[in-house]
Amino acid sequence: MRFERRLILSFGVAAIMSIAAVAAYADETCNSPYMSGLIKGQEDFVHVWTLGVPGMGDGSDKLVTIDANPASKTYGKVIHKISVGGRGEAHHMGFTDDRKYLWAGGLDDSKIYVFDVGTNPSHPTLVRTIDDLGAKTGYAGPHTFYALPGRMLIGNLSNVADKGGVTGMSVYNNKGDFIAKYGMPIATIKQIKGDGYGYDIAVNPAKNALLTSSFTGWNNYMRDLGEVVKDPEAMKHFGNTLVMWNLKTMQPEQIFAVPGAPLEIRWALPEGQNWAITATALTSQLWLVKRDAQGAWTAKDVATIGDPAKIPLPVDISITSDAKGLWVNTFMDGTTHYFDLTDPEHPRQTYTKHTGSQVNMVSQSWDGRRVYITSSLLSKWDKTGMDNEQFLRAFHWDGHELSPAFEVDFTKEQLGRPHHMKFTANPQRLTSLLDATAH
Amino acid sequence: MHPLGALLRRAGAVAGTLSAVLGLAAATGPAGATEDPGKATAPRMEFVPPPPGSYKLQKIQRVADAVLLDSAGHAIRLASLTQSKITLLTFFYTYCVDPLGCPFAHTTLTGLRDQVRDDRALAGRVRFVSVSLDPTHDTPAAIAAYGRELAVDPKFEWRFVTARRVPELLPVLEDFGQDVSVDLDESGRATRTLHHMLKMFLIDAHGEVREIYTLAFVQPQVMFNDIKTLAMEALDAPRIAPAPTESSTHRNTAQIGSN
Repeated sequence: MRFERRLILSFGVAAIMSIAAVAAYADETCNSPYMSGLIKGQEDFVHVWTLGVPGMGDGSDKLVTIDANPASKTYGKVIHKISVGGRGEAHHMGFTDDRKYLWAGGLDDSKIYVFDVGTNPSHPTLVRTIDDLGAKTGYAGPHTFYALPGRMLIGNLSNVADKGGVTGMSVYNNKGDFIAKYGMPIATIKQIKGDGYGYDIAVNPAKNALLTSSFTGWNNYMRDLGEVVKDPEAMKHFGNTLVMWNLKTMQPEQIFAVPGAPLEIRWALPEGQNWAITATALTSQLWLVKRDAQGAWTAKDVATIGDPAKIPLPVDISITSDAKGLWVNTFMDGTTHYFDLTDPEHPRQTYTKHTGSQVNMVSQSWDGRRVYITSSLLSKWDKTGMDNEQFLRAFHWDGHELSPAFEVDFTKEQLGRPHHMKFTANPQRLTSLLDATAH
Repeated sequence: MHPLGALLRRAGAVAGTLSAVLGLAAATGPAGATEDPGKATAPRMEFVPPPPGSYKLQKIQRVADAVLLDSAGHAIRLASLTQSKITLLTFFYTYCVDPLGCPFAHTTLTGLRDQVRDDRALAGRVRFVSVSLDPTHDTPAAIAAYGRELAVDPKFEWRFVTARRVPELLPVLEDFGQDVSVDLDESGRATRTLHHMLKMFLIDAHGEVREIYTLAFVQPQVMFNDIKTLAMEALDAPRIAPAPTESSTHRNTAQIGSN
């Protein structure tokens, strides 16, 4: 994000916006680093891609928009929701390079929905549905949506043939047309054999680097978690690799053996940094991928998250923009952790808080002062009974303590299971080129 | 004096004139959300670019045709500027003052032009096209004057175009996915402050966009290698097997399809 900017062109005596004061960005680092429309300060809206629940409301997956600006009369309230007319295991989403559209995927039905959040972010509209992923690629379960200039790189989880974990990445242009596919490596590269699994994708343009992680296929993620963990054969089918790709050639160059399903990947993007970090779900570790003095990429575990023996199940992570801090949610024990990454080789956990009976996604605000958490992991993996809390909880963060800001009860509101979050802001006194001409 | 020097000097002068109002816009936003451009950071390239021809560029989209105006005021079809040669197209404003905006793009293009000119294999096979985002003020005469400072080499085709009216430009912007918006002042009137995301489009001789460079990807050596790659692809076309069309889910292969 900090590499990209909206260009400001000015003429005559027109005002020019200051670009001097820049706060620390936070969860923008989970987006493409070159996306435009960076937001500083208080976000206006949180969009939540929400799984439908049978018998709850319309039962459909939906994009829920929550007012997140304390200055607003509807602060902390659901102000808009748009259903997609079906239930396909809503999961992750990502902005296009111009931040005007959100692409959101269904892990079960492999549909991709494109929402316009630029025209009026308080009232997103569904502008396109892409349903040819399987036909075009053979892949299934579109997970990560990562903007490339003019197109969307999608990390998938599964395939249509056997619904296992061998999969690949697909590329669509911003108009929704299929462009290309790239299989996750199953060959041996530098003595490490690829498992062909996929999950997150993260790009570092300055290093021409694309790093991918690995999870599991439809057969596991759409099956009851209790059954999966009791099935030794099923437990063999989780990813154990990270892959470093050459972004320009889109060829895998190195495979790292990282046991236990490495999931979310975050690059340290400040100049001079040369590393990325990820968390393994099943082995509960932080892994550092770093370029050594000889220029070679290496991977090593650098910290544990909670007690790995209890399988706390680390899920989402959120890195601060200065790459000196990392939020980690552990699903099973409902705990939010903060790690000091000042020395990325030796992360130190400095804070924990029980934030729910089950917690999954965690997203910081741009200025790092607010932290948002949602509860749902997968429809078949969420807890049951009283522990099946479904919420978005917003917290203030003063550097020492998370304090409640507001909460939306997604069950009470008859919305469903909240998953991925993205922020938007109202456009600041802008108009179109056409309208400007008419003035 | 390098021709870019004049442009950059002019940009600096305007920016200096406006320095008194710096911060005004940022301070006038309502409490709460503000979009911020972020601190301008020049793109970095901390890697050795893959050699030309060692990779295939994706076919991102076909360029739709449109009628624009050349710098002599004549109607010109966009297709005539995006086919038959490898084309690097960007959008600009003659009065752009952002040091990492249009002047930066055109500085990059100037360097690339020199590299292309010195490469025999690329002789006569590459053109640059700069399309104005402001038909209202960037008249043919204005872009001609601007272009004279850049397109100084008669052996290299560098075209500057504008549109007759904004409505005739909008479909072009829509097709390329090039955003642009205009600041309003406190009374709701349009200012002359415009926003757009820097994008440079590499187009093959068949009118297909093959790469897009936003600021983080404006890495001249990579861009030059991409141009060379397209040139080699055109020469090698009969020897390059078409991409497989059937699913290769279980193979470690890449497949680049057409739209």
